Amino acid sequence: MIKANLQLSKSDFKLEASFSVPGRGVTAVFGPSGCGKTTLLRAIAGLEPEVTGSLSVNTEQWLGANTRRPVEERRVGVVFQNPSLFPHLTVEENLLYGRKRLSKVTKPIELNKLIASLEIENLLRRYPEGLSGGEKQRVALGRALLAEPKLLLMDEPLSALDLSSREKLMLLLEKFLQEIDIPVFYVTHSSEEVARLADNLVLLANGLVTDHGSIADVLGEVDGELSRSDTAFSVIEGQIATTQLPGLISVDCGAGIVLQLPDSTSMPGIRYQPGSDVRLRIRARDVSLCLEKPQRSSILNILPAVIAQLAAEPYNGSRVVKLDMAGKQLLSKISEYSVQQLGLKKGQSVFAQIKSAALI
Amino acid sequence: MLSQPDIAALLITLKLAGTTTIILLLLGTPLAWWLATTRSRVRNAIEAVIALPLVLPPTVLGFYLLLAFSPDGPIGATTSALGLPSMAFSFWGLVLGSAIYSLPFVVQPLQNSFTSLGRMPLEVAATLGAGPLDRFISVVLPLSKMGYLTAAVLGFAHTLGEFGVVLMIGGNIPGETQVLSIAIYDHVEALEYSQAHWLAAGLLLSSFLVLLMIYSANRRFHLMKIT
Repeated sequence: MIKANLQLSKSDFKLEASFSVPGRGVTAVFGPSGCGKTTLLRAIAGLEPEVTGSLSVNTEQWLGANTRRPVEERRVGVVFQNPSLFPHLTVEENLLYGRKRLSKVTKPIELNKLIASLEIENLLRRYPEGLSGGEKQRVALGRALLAEPKLLLMDEPLSALDLSSREKLMLLLEKFLQEIDIPVFYVTHSSEEVARLADNLVLLANGLVTDHGSIADVLGEVDGELSRSDTAFSVIEGQIATTQLPGLISVDCGAGIVLQLPDSTSMPGIRYQPGSDVRLRIRARDVSLCLEKPQRSSILNILPAVIAQLAAEPYNGSRVVKLDMAGKQLLSKISEYSVQQLGLKKGQSVFAQIKSAALI
Repeated sequence: MLSQPDIAALLITLKLAGTTTIILLLLGTPLAWWLATTRSRVRNAIEAVIALPLVLPPTVLGFYLLLAFSPDGPIGATTSALGLPSMAFSFWGLVLGSAIYSLPFVVQPLQNSFTSLGRMPLEVAATLGAGPLDRFISVVLPLSKMGYLTAAVLGFAHTLGEFGVVLMIGGNIPGETQVLSIAIYDHVEALEYSQAHWLAAGLLLSSFLVLLMIYSANRRFHLMKIT
């Protein structure tokens, strides 16, 4: 477990972060810009000297009433928003900076294997100056991992990159972060990144943790901050189906649920091999409800569902409805007017029309 | 060409400038680091004190040093209590005077260099397991090369050219405290213009070359910012 109860007061900002998440997997720290995500990450790393409270990472106490472990003894790997390679060292020297300082190398991370999977083998003798943003971030990630961190912190590592290197690094992270056996905190304001990477979620607003837990639990809270916001979304996992319709990608989500998406892929063949695991992000505002199955609709995905829960009260004229589709959870955000008109109630059978879903 | 006393003056000047520069780099490093990182309120006052030699006439500094070196002065009383020779009219007196006189020329480039590093590289190094001293040696020093070169050259060159302080506390003893600038003055007083020329033109040329070196190195290092 990673348990945190951190307080920090700055002149114009207050952080009050209390949460606990499993000590493995990827925990996304999600919230709008300026809500204190980076400050929270810095506090966990030990880079904010004025922070008080307690912090324990698995078996180790990093901060407590009488303990304050200095940064260099926390063994925390950080990938900062802006690439932060040492300009006076080559890529290889950068990679080994932290590893050289380990008292002993316990996990024999294979250097060559890591370098190969980060696709930086051709850069080793170069200096950071001439590298692209994506290359720098991959080197920074490798450098952090080679120091055998007990916790890996990533602060919007994609935000300083252009679109294509962002997508490339994202694909790498998806594979990578699941493989390494190190808990990861991943700060982002992008719901796509959350949906693609996160197992757990810590929601932050105005310096306050508003919710935390597994991604399904947090996303499924119809009265939570996230559900009320415009970015409310659900994540459904599935596999690329073996039979495809022309111009469409079919995703088999199990239990007879097959979702169809327009094939707008820019990189065919990379991720859409039949049978490969994918996640779908479906925005709550893209899901509408019908009492009867519509005929001859342009909407591709119309699926039977049962209303599992309605938000206790409407918010800004809309209400979030949690649906159960054969065990899969789906959020829908519809107007309060429609809720009253259709007389929607818990336990009712409806048809969910999914206007669009993003394969992520 | 150069006479025997002129060569002695040249050697003393080089020794004085070299010794002063080394001492200033050693003392200036922690001082500049403190100034670059502290949030203390006394920082402004300390910065002002360090910058004083930039604006004060060197004779003012020399005058007070001379008073301090006198047997009743704080430095003179200390040296005589320790059984050491008086610092007035001695080489080490000149070193002390030069160190104070050239302090801002060493501390300010170092401080600027440390400040421009920002906290980022240090934080990265800390997360990678480097302790404070390790961080300084492995990150700050190599990234401050240009600052050190500038500080060393400016400190050295400024000490080369000092006149007023040396005149007040050095006593112009040939072979002991007579430095180049004073030797030139003596030659001019004695109307030995050709000897004055040799020394003066040599000083002018070497100062120009040193500054040229800094500026071209500065341009070359300019691109090397944290990336």
